[in-house]
Amino acid sequence: MKTLVNLPAAAAPTAPAPGKYLTFVLGGESYGLTVLQVREIIRPMSVTPVPRLPRHILGVINLRGKVVPIFDLRLKFGLPLPATVERACVIVAQAKLASGLPAHIGLLVDTVEEVVALTAENIDDTPAFGFETPTQYIMGVARLGDEVKLLLNLDQVLHDESNDSAGASLL
Amino acid sequence: MSENANLLRDLFASFTRELDLARPGSDQGQFPMLDLLGNLRDEAASNPGSEGLSACAKEAADKLVGIIESGKLFAAEDLTWLRAVESTLGGHLGGTPAAAVIVPLPEPAAPSPVVIESPSIMLNLAEDGELLREFITESREHLNNIEQGVLALEERPDDADTLHSIFRAFHTFKGGAGFLNLIPVNRLAHALESLLDLARQHKLVIDRRIVELILRGRDTLKTAVDQIEARVSGAHPPDAFDVPYVGLTAEVRAIVDGGPSAPAPALAPLAESAPEPAEKPAALATATVKVETSKLDALVDLVGELVISQSLVAQDLSSLSQLDPQFARNLSQIGRVTRELQRVSMSLRMVPIRGAFQKMARVVRDVGAKQGKDVRLVTEGDDTELDRNMVEELADPLMHMIRNAVDHGIENPAARVARGKPATGCVHLRARHQSGSIVVEIEDDGEGLSQERILAKAVERGLAAPGVKMTEEEIFEFIFAAGFSTAQKVTDVSGRGVGMDVVRRNIERLRGQVDVSSAPGKGSLFKLIVPLTLAIIDGLIVKLGAERFIIPTLSVRESFRPQKGMVSTVQGRGEIVNVRGRLIPLLRLSQLFSVEGAAADPTEGVIVVVTTGSAVKCLLVDSLAHRQEVVIKSVGDLVRRTNPAVAGAAILGDGRVGLILDVHALGSAAFSYAQAA
Repeated sequence: MKTLVNLPAAAAPTAPAPGKYLTFVLGGESYGLTVLQVREIIRPMSVTPVPRLPRHILGVINLRGKVVPIFDLRLKFGLPLPATVERACVIVAQAKLASGLPAHIGLLVDTVEEVVALTAENIDDTPAFGFETPTQYIMGVARLGDEVKLLLNLDQVLHDESNDSAGASLL
Repeated sequence: MSENANLLRDLFASFTRELDLARPGSDQGQFPMLDLLGNLRDEAASNPGSEGLSACAKEAADKLVGIIESGKLFAAEDLTWLRAVESTLGGHLGGTPAAAVIVPLPEPAAPSPVVIESPSIMLNLAEDGELLREFITESREHLNNIEQGVLALEERPDDADTLHSIFRAFHTFKGGAGFLNLIPVNRLAHALESLLDLARQHKLVIDRRIVELILRGRDTLKTAVDQIEARVSGAHPPDAFDVPYVGLTAEVRAIVDGGPSAPAPALAPLAESAPEPAEKPAALATATVKVETSKLDALVDLVGELVISQSLVAQDLSSLSQLDPQFARNLSQIGRVTRELQRVSMSLRMVPIRGAFQKMARVVRDVGAKQGKDVRLVTEGDDTELDRNMVEELADPLMHMIRNAVDHGIENPAARVARGKPATGCVHLRARHQSGSIVVEIEDDGEGLSQERILAKAVERGLAAPGVKMTEEEIFEFIFAAGFSTAQKVTDVSGRGVGMDVVRRNIERLRGQVDVSSAPGKGSLFKLIVPLTLAIIDGLIVKLGAERFIIPTLSVRESFRPQKGMVSTVQGRGEIVNVRGRLIPLLRLSQLFSVEGAAADPTEGVIVVVTTGSAVKCLLVDSLAHRQEVVIKSVGDLVRRTNPAVAGAAILGDGRVGLILDVHALGSAAFSYAQAA
């Protein structure tokens, strides 16, 4: 097991575990998120923007009485936005903040594909190059037939988010 | 009859077994044997013909109590003596009406076994973990009941119900501690229990000294329970610890032995007052269910959603309901039930403020005693209900202010008499509801705040210019300045003003305010006004572009549409508004928050004047929507850290999220925002 490049020391290197993954499309690229972290999938709803938040945090929504922030990872990763938003979905996921507390976040995605079962043979470590996405947010890649799925490390996204925003708020 | 005889034989057999296990230098079996002897005594007393047995068991039990209370381990003599007791008891049981041979007892004082240091407690976490946790929860309840009961006893020493309930609380506590082999805890509880037992039998009058002793004992027990909890919860390594109980038990012993009304040797039968160990303190028990707060929160969330869905549905169907009156009735019935459900679910978190007030009784007592002052605490409105979190949050500020009142407000008895006041000082603690908030007043009849002294101190510290006329209100404002104290002597309790800045900060964090009024020589009145709950806020909803924000109504002073010329720009300092001659800085919310489509010209918008502590700010918004009570939701760690001016969020009537502004943070963050922009 190689240590992933660019990984800040604070986060333990996470290897993608075999199991079921929900796959979805972000900026034309196919991604996977372990179903253990997925709480539900909802239609995009009216978002209340929060002033002074980074551009890729669109705001907050009311999810049955809970206030949940919505992330647009395409903006964070610098991916192109799709021409149409008809099939757009929000994946509500549970992730760990840098503080170790669990938090619900919503991920706005182009479209949700399917749930796939990945075995150890399907999964590779992250190649150090060749993708537009910052690689510290990718735990590994999965090959399914001739398709490649990037396995998202959501905890790492939030971990960096907390650090970044702490810095941003001091500006 | 024979049943009774069998029982006696069984008890005796158990006693023999325990005695076989007892060894010199250990305390194994002390408590079980005491228990068995007590039972033998009581059972035999009710069995005609066994009086001799009863007397013998009683004598032995009393002796054993002496050994246990001195904290000694068994000495060889003790065991020899117990063997003698055993044979005498056996003789009685054998049917020989033994000539009441009372066994030769070793004089307890003469063969003095080594008095060991307080045996320390070593917990067996692996085996007793669960039991210990239960013990901790129960003990806290018992110890609280004891404290409240003892304080009540001090007022009414002959209140038999309270006395019984304290006695039972100690007894149950003692039983639990004995069961878990917490020997020092058990012994101390036993000693205190015996004290109360005497009082119960009217052989001891509860006076200040006794109350003091019981309270000290109770505190020692509480410390022990805290220590146990720290070890059980893993906050502290599970090492052994000591409980300083020997001194206390010796004091109790001295009172029991040399009490003013020392009982005649022939003790009254104890049987009738034999306590029920399983019984809870009846006077203080209430039927409650413990529920995780997360479940409560989820319930409140869902009910909030139900209310929103209900109003949306009602709107959609309002045209239909005009056609069918039956349908309209049903619809409005759902609305009523929903609102009632919301009211009830909100009230689930409400508790009476009594708990916090009762703690203050102890504070007044302790501080008063330390200062040699006679102070009485009078509470009113103990039943006033407010959010459980709020009660907890109020405890600290209340404690500070009560200490201040006793320490610096109330004068010495001599000084009071000289002023023509009663020697006993009085602190009033009141709570009441007032227009959706709760008001807590702390009033003392002491010397009051000295305006001259505060002003002199303020000038000395450079907070005020000398010779400037100030209103009473402005002068009292100084006591909330950090580190401000006019106390002439520093005590370990408080200095007037020390901590008042902390009090103010805490109260403001709860979105409340503190008012002071005082009459020199007559006393001071501190008034805390806080919302009933941290979960709901009365908010003013303002519009800004396409967005809506919620400003807590408590911090809104006024709002108006500015005229031309009211707003002017100060070079390099931003804009200010002239509000009736007072110049107040203007914050353009749209700029701070980069909201597009908001009114740029102040005369097209509305200015909301908000207070944050002592500072006043003007916020420019587009328009006011309405005023509404909203349930506060957390926006999460991520958002709060990025934008401190967002205190939380709330679900508005249309199901969308509105952001609640933290005006305090807004004021202080404005500058950094401006820099970043």
